[in-house]
Amino acid sequence: MDFLVSSFASALRLIGSFSPDVVDAVGTSLAVSAGATVFAALFGIPLGLLVGLSDFPLKRLVVTLLNTLMAVPTVVVGLLVYGFLSRQGPLGVLGLLFTPTAMVIGGVLLAAPIVANYSLASVRGADPRIVPTALTLGAGRFLAVGTLIGEIRFGILAAVIAGFGRVVSEVGVAMMLGGNIRGYTRTMTTAIALETSKGEFAFGMALGIVLMTVALLVNLFLNLLQQR
Amino acid sequence: MRAMYRLDSIRKCYGSNVALDIEELTIGEGRLYTLTGANGAGKSTLLNLLAFLSPPTSGEIFYAGKRVDWNHGSMEEYRRKVTLLHQSPYLFGGTVYDNVAFGLKARGIQGEARQRMVDKALDGVGLQGFRDRKARELSGGEAQRVAMARALALKPEVLLLDEPLANIDRETTGLLETLIASLPAQGTTVVLITHDPDQPGRLNGESILLEGGKVAIPHPPVRR
Repeated sequence: MDFLVSSFASALRLIGSFSPDVVDAVGTSLAVSAGATVFAALFGIPLGLLVGLSDFPLKRLVVTLLNTLMAVPTVVVGLLVYGFLSRQGPLGVLGLLFTPTAMVIGGVLLAAPIVANYSLASVRGADPRIVPTALTLGAGRFLAVGTLIGEIRFGILAAVIAGFGRVVSEVGVAMMLGGNIRGYTRTMTTAIALETSKGEFAFGMALGIVLMTVALLVNLFLNLLQQR
Repeated sequence: MRAMYRLDSIRKCYGSNVALDIEELTIGEGRLYTLTGANGAGKSTLLNLLAFLSPPTSGEIFYAGKRVDWNHGSMEEYRRKVTLLHQSPYLFGGTVYDNVAFGLKARGIQGEARQRMVDKALDGVGLQGFRDRKARELSGGEAQRVAMARALALKPEVLLLDEPLANIDRETTGLLETLIASLPAQGTTVVLITHDPDQPGRLNGESILLEGGKVAIPHPPVRR
């Protein structure tokens, strides 16, 4: 127990002293996660809305595929993107492997299915009277769909936040595509894994506390918006 | 008096179930009709057709003498002339003003003109001073009156009402019945679904009875 308490105290000191290693890892994590979430939202929200609002052959198959993609292990996504970005891969010439850009690409592949699925679920859970009400008040198709999006905005925001949560908390993609390079591609999660294995438990705990705080703040923000 | 709607050989099917099968039905302009019938008789299906929300499986609908083409062009033009109010209307998030102004915004009406029209519509349903209230915090009767104001603010040629007074108190019912009964004199055609056997008499309208998707009692013919 003493070990945990002293580690926790050291962790708080590291956070309080703005240790450069902690600040770098937090900064990289947030930047990569935010970048990946933006692109995942750009793909995922329209995809979820499109699937939710339209009827087409094989729709059930598409929904099943989207659900399956949510459960793909992060290391498999990492492996796939590694295959494309490695020197022998089709995109190797771009020299993106072990860069934050590669981590963002992997993050987009992780988060987009989550954003799409949650957006789809929001559309399915929306009040079925929204679109007919808008139409009968004279709205065109675009305004009716826009009104629907406005009414389910918190569901869509939750989708984006869930996507962010997936990226910021994963290790596999960040490790395989970023390479855990100190001050460049080292994120909170890869640093926790590395430093803990080296016996630097307090450092890992400091990053764990920051990671939990980020998750808490994001959810508080969501709750605050929902209450407005 | 001209026909606002003329329905010719209209059938509406959901799979193998025939929800509506009307040989001929004419709805006259500036008249009030009460639509009655048992549950599943096709009343709401008919109202959705008249609101241009869903096309018939077969047959033709003529609106103000013009054949409605469901396959080509936008239905917006028709929907802007007709407004449907449900038994439990959906109020959008935001204020009462946002709700009543919705259709006016969709029609590009802006500024003071829009505000005047919203205020007038709210006055008409006895909700002066409600414009800044949150729509989701209203009582059932107030919500119904806001939905009525939202429909009336648009000055529709046709107002379709799906049991609009089913779940509201007697005082509000009286207010809205008076308002509805006054609409034909202003040129608005009204078609109202009701299960209240006394309501057709109170509203002084013509009756259309649906049974199994068919018109059971033809209402007095309207000269075309």
